[in-house]
Amino acid sequence: MGAHPQPHLKQQLERRQPVWISLYYVAFYVVMTGLFALCLYVLMQTVDPYTPDYQDQLQSPGVTLRPDVYGEKGLEIVYNVSDNRTWADLTHILHTFLAGYSPAAQEDSINCTSDQYFFQERFLAPNHTKFSCKFTADMLQNCSGLADPDFGFEEGKPCFIIKINRIVKFLPSNGSAPRVDCAFLDQPQELGQPLQVAYYPPNGTFSLHYFPYYGKKAQPHYSNPLVAAKLLNIPRNAQVAIVCKVMAEHVTFDNPHDPYEGKVEFKLKIEK
Amino acid sequence: MRQKRSEIYSVELSGTKDIVRTDQGDDKEKYRGLKNNCLERKKKNQEEDFQKELQLDDHKLNNRELEKKYGTNIIMGLSSTRAAELLARDGPNSLTPPKQTPEIVKFLKQMVGGFSILLWVGAFLCWIAYGIQYSSDKSASLNNVYLGSVLVLVVILTGVFAYYQEAKSTNIMSSFNKMIPQQALVIRDSEKKTIPAEQLVVGDIVEVKGGDQIPADIRVLSSQGCRVDNSSLTGESEPQPRSSEFTHENPLETKNICFYSTTCLEGTVTGMVINTGDRTIIGHIASLASGVGNEKTPIAIEIEHFVHIVAGVAVSIGILFFIIAVSMKYRVLDSLIFLIGIIVANVPEGLLGTVTVTLSLTAKRMAKKNCLVKNLEAVETLGSTSIICSDKTGTLTQNRMTVAHLWFDNQIFVADTSEDHSNQVFDQSSSTWASLSKIITLCNRAEFKPGQENVPIMKKAVIGDASETALLKFSEVILGDVMEIRKRNRKVVEIPFNSTNKFQLSIHETDDPHDKRFLMVMKGAPERILEKCSTIMINGEEHPLDKSTAKTFHTAYMELGGLGERVLGFCHLYLPADEFPETYSFDIDAMNFPTSNLCFVGLLSMIDPPRSTVPDAVTKCRSAGIKVIMVTGDHPITAKAIAKSVGIISANSETVEDIAHRLNIPVEQVNQRDAKAAIVTGMELKDMSLEQLDEILANYQEIVFARTSPQQKLIIVEGCQRQDAVVAVTGDGVNDSPALKKADIGIAMGIAGSDAAKNAADMVLLDDNFASIVTGVEEGRLIFDNLKKTIAYTLTKNIAELCPFLIYIIAGLPLPIGTITILFIDLGTDIIPSIALAYEKAESDIMNRKPRHKKKDRLVNKPLAVYSYLHIGLMQALGAFLVYFTVYAQEGFLPHTLINLRVEWENDNVNDLEDHYGQEWTRYQREYLEWTGYTAFFVGILVQQIADLIIRKTRRNSIFQQGLFRNKVIWVGIASQIIIGLILSYGLGSVTALNFTMLRAQYWFVAVPHAILIWVYDEVRKLFIRLYPGSWWDKNMYY
Repeated sequence: MGAHPQPHLKQQLERRQPVWISLYYVAFYVVMTGLFALCLYVLMQTVDPYTPDYQDQLQSPGVTLRPDVYGEKGLEIVYNVSDNRTWADLTHILHTFLAGYSPAAQEDSINCTSDQYFFQERFLAPNHTKFSCKFTADMLQNCSGLADPDFGFEEGKPCFIIKINRIVKFLPSNGSAPRVDCAFLDQPQELGQPLQVAYYPPNGTFSLHYFPYYGKKAQPHYSNPLVAAKLLNIPRNAQVAIVCKVMAEHVTFDNPHDPYEGKVEFKLKIEK
Repeated sequence: MRQKRSEIYSVELSGTKDIVRTDQGDDKEKYRGLKNNCLERKKKNQEEDFQKELQLDDHKLNNRELEKKYGTNIIMGLSSTRAAELLARDGPNSLTPPKQTPEIVKFLKQMVGGFSILLWVGAFLCWIAYGIQYSSDKSASLNNVYLGSVLVLVVILTGVFAYYQEAKSTNIMSSFNKMIPQQALVIRDSEKKTIPAEQLVVGDIVEVKGGDQIPADIRVLSSQGCRVDNSSLTGESEPQPRSSEFTHENPLETKNICFYSTTCLEGTVTGMVINTGDRTIIGHIASLASGVGNEKTPIAIEIEHFVHIVAGVAVSIGILFFIIAVSMKYRVLDSLIFLIGIIVANVPEGLLGTVTVTLSLTAKRMAKKNCLVKNLEAVETLGSTSIICSDKTGTLTQNRMTVAHLWFDNQIFVADTSEDHSNQVFDQSSSTWASLSKIITLCNRAEFKPGQENVPIMKKAVIGDASETALLKFSEVILGDVMEIRKRNRKVVEIPFNSTNKFQLSIHETDDPHDKRFLMVMKGAPERILEKCSTIMINGEEHPLDKSTAKTFHTAYMELGGLGERVLGFCHLYLPADEFPETYSFDIDAMNFPTSNLCFVGLLSMIDPPRSTVPDAVTKCRSAGIKVIMVTGDHPITAKAIAKSVGIISANSETVEDIAHRLNIPVEQVNQRDAKAAIVTGMELKDMSLEQLDEILANYQEIVFARTSPQQKLIIVEGCQRQDAVVAVTGDGVNDSPALKKADIGIAMGIAGSDAAKNAADMVLLDDNFASIVTGVEEGRLIFDNLKKTIAYTLTKNIAELCPFLIYIIAGLPLPIGTITILFIDLGTDIIPSIALAYEKAESDIMNRKPRHKKKDRLVNKPLAVYSYLHIGLMQALGAFLVYFTVYAQEGFLPHTLINLRVEWENDNVNDLEDHYGQEWTRYQREYLEWTGYTAFFVGILVQQIADLIIRKTRRNSIFQQGLFRNKVIWVGIASQIIIGLILSYGLGSVTALNFTMLRAQYWFVAVPHAILIWVYDEVRKLFIRLYPGSWWDKNMYY
């Protein structure tokens, strides 16, 4: 390469090379990190704080079940009626879950009675937020765990709580409240009769005033509405597959890839 | 008019004194031959090898001793039964064909080379990883199995492709091998029989006539004017006379042995078969070649070096992150999977195929320019070649005698020796030329074979020996129809050339009807012709031949002889009409006509001239820093003359002998350092130690090796290789084949080349044009540069593909890019662009720089790896991460919510995972988002790879200097990248198995600023390299 006039100068330069290159690397990485941080900062600035930019991947809400105990494949609940240790865990899960629905936990929310969507254009609630409707455990009546702390497990008529996932600004239907409908997945021939369910709140509906959801920042106290299904005629000592679907115009439950979209399936075996 | 006034060269005769010490009486050792020597070369002192070259003493025996030795009878021949016995003992008289590698072995070999090993290891690691996963979790993802299988598939497909490519060139080769079954006329049971030459045995008496191939090594018993063409064996272009006399100790030099596979040009010869098949000289040389191992090609070494670097990087990153993972409380088994994952992620899946395709594209380009490459890797070897050892005959020269100079009217004229003789510019107005041309035309027995009316003169086949052919063609070109001239000057009588007279004479009627005199024309050895003359023709007039004219003759004779040319003298005499009337009957036995007091007309000298393209090619090699060494079996004088005329010895450089001659001092007193050129004969080479040879090779710029044997060629090549040079050997003869094989790249001549040479070579010049080598060098250098670019391009995105995995392990982000997606980059979008770089034009004149140093200028050096991994690769990773974060953020997962989300994110049993906005996601919804993330990351890399592709067009120059649009294939590559990307995202976005989703259009543009940044950054890098050559920047940033 190029020749330097003085050889000792060249040597000096060569000796200083590692210093230069290390300094360069430090500078390069500082600049690159800075640039990347700047890019992220700009990204954060462009993102709407209340509503996500896109929701195309949340077309229809997922549905989950409590107690949520998973086996090899999906939800699998097995317990023995006569052995309370086998269901103590299950009821414990429900109690813990419903702790979030105690009157104390819901105290920042308001009571809603309307059967219509609760649209809020403006931030009228304190701290520049929007109001959330109360959902307390006692609305689940027999399955609230208040009257019957065993949730019917002991008598073999267990309560299952069905929750619908939150999606910002999602409207489940065009006016009628979404309703939970549980049934045997493959109607067992030998049973001969369909699944009998007692739904709480009555009819197993999610009241429309819980919709739409305005996001965590607008509705910090929002709690998902719940439906409890008390299964009344589960055969003993046989595993049954049960599906609980949310029936509403805008809730689909036929996505072949997603088993939790608009419905929840679980296996139940009650031993004696 | 061109007159040549060249100095008289000193005449070196040492070559002819060349004697091979023969190992007499040691019959057991006799045939152990060259192959063994070669194999034991490493262990034994090489000094001994020189002396064991050839053990043959049949040329010293007389007929009776021969009969006794071989149990035969010269008159009656062998008996059929004895012949059958010998045939059973010795086997057929044919060369054992070189051991053909079985096709399946060739095929498998394609799959275990440097690169393939990397992929195999990768594949096995994948399967091992799956095994580990499966043992702990039966539902483990099959990704690793797919990846492993894809790696194996890549190896196999590339192997098939490379095999197919090489098989194709081998097929072209085999079309040359047209073996015509040979017949031999043999005396057996006192009868002459024609039998297939294969059935000859030692002791057979055979007759060979002009035009036939010598069917075995034979000891000449009697001969009539026999001349053989030994050029394929010894490199001598001139036909060699053969007779029964023992003339030289060295069997290769003596006149009474004809060698298998050489051609008898004229005359007839009867001889006794003394060696058959593999035991012939040619057989020994052939086995010598097969004993020489093939050298690893420089590009193979480079690729191995590259594999080491990649493996080193992979393993060290892998182990580093293994330790990190373990200390982060990951399970050891999981950490192990990460380790394997990291190692495999470093394997550049597409590179093996890319390199193979790139090489074969260049091979194809070279084949168009008549360089056929037998071994794909040899494509690059020529580019790194630093020494070319070239054979003379047939490679540098045309391998046919051609009139080079004329001397008449006291002047030397230069004749055009180019391939078509089209440009004869010497003065043809002198009437001396008229007389001389008449002698040349008439005193010549050569004739064109009939039926060649449409063939150009220089290509016509001729019956007659080499020098007569040269004269015939020379006169046909200048004078037109020679046959017609001969017809008009009817030949009355002639005395053909013979070695005792050393002249040829014929008497003709003249074509002038008024001139009733006879014209006697004569040609022959100049000194013999001059003896017979009393006058000399100058400007058409006869002058008495006095001392001064005789001196000018001698000066001219010496000068032409010094050029290594064969000189012939021409004289004539008009016989007085009164003494020799029309009816006079000439008697050649009684010699009833005068053969003295003739009129000397002129001299004519012939040489096997250099091909016209060679001098230019040699100059180009020189300026490309390649040393061109001539290694020939021919005599030093001829060798030197050709070396001078093609520029292997440049016009102003002198040998030690030249200096001694100029200063008129003994050779010993000359300072060796003053001489730039050296001429070394095989004889001198024999007495040299390896150190001395090394010294010669290192100290002289211009070297000619003359009178060398095949082994010595081998030793010279090895000597060059000891200097860390990449050696190319060019040759056509059987004698070249061992050296061709030993060389880093052997280049054989396609037309003139013997099968043995073509078999041993890595490359064949289909048009025999030495200049094609220059093309090859250029292509080879270009492909080396372009491979650098391809590798740099490929390595860059490796980091962008690896970083996500590392971040995934450390920061717990949802996996930014999946294995299958990576495969679609490596084996999909990036393939055509990286091949497109092979079409890139050179940045500067690559033919004006030195060849790369084998051990210093690596294909993949530190700056290349560091710049690709730590600069551009890192920038690319950041750009791709930005696209990824953007997609997640706009869907609800802001960057900070992603950190350490991995476990929950991947948990199938969490179906209400909250995002930043409080929305809840099922597992499948998250998975789909993850695939969108993959697609986003993919698009991020893709967009930046376009910038990477553009910046890789050059390493030093600005893209704008190189021209953005000159290489159209680059744009095809970019288009292919985008189209494949679009198809994957929008066409196959619904196929869930491929993990692609339809990406919003705007995400394609998120990484564009990064791409531009990469471009600008690289332009700045190149600018500083150009501005501050030699600086720390240049040293660290130029790859």
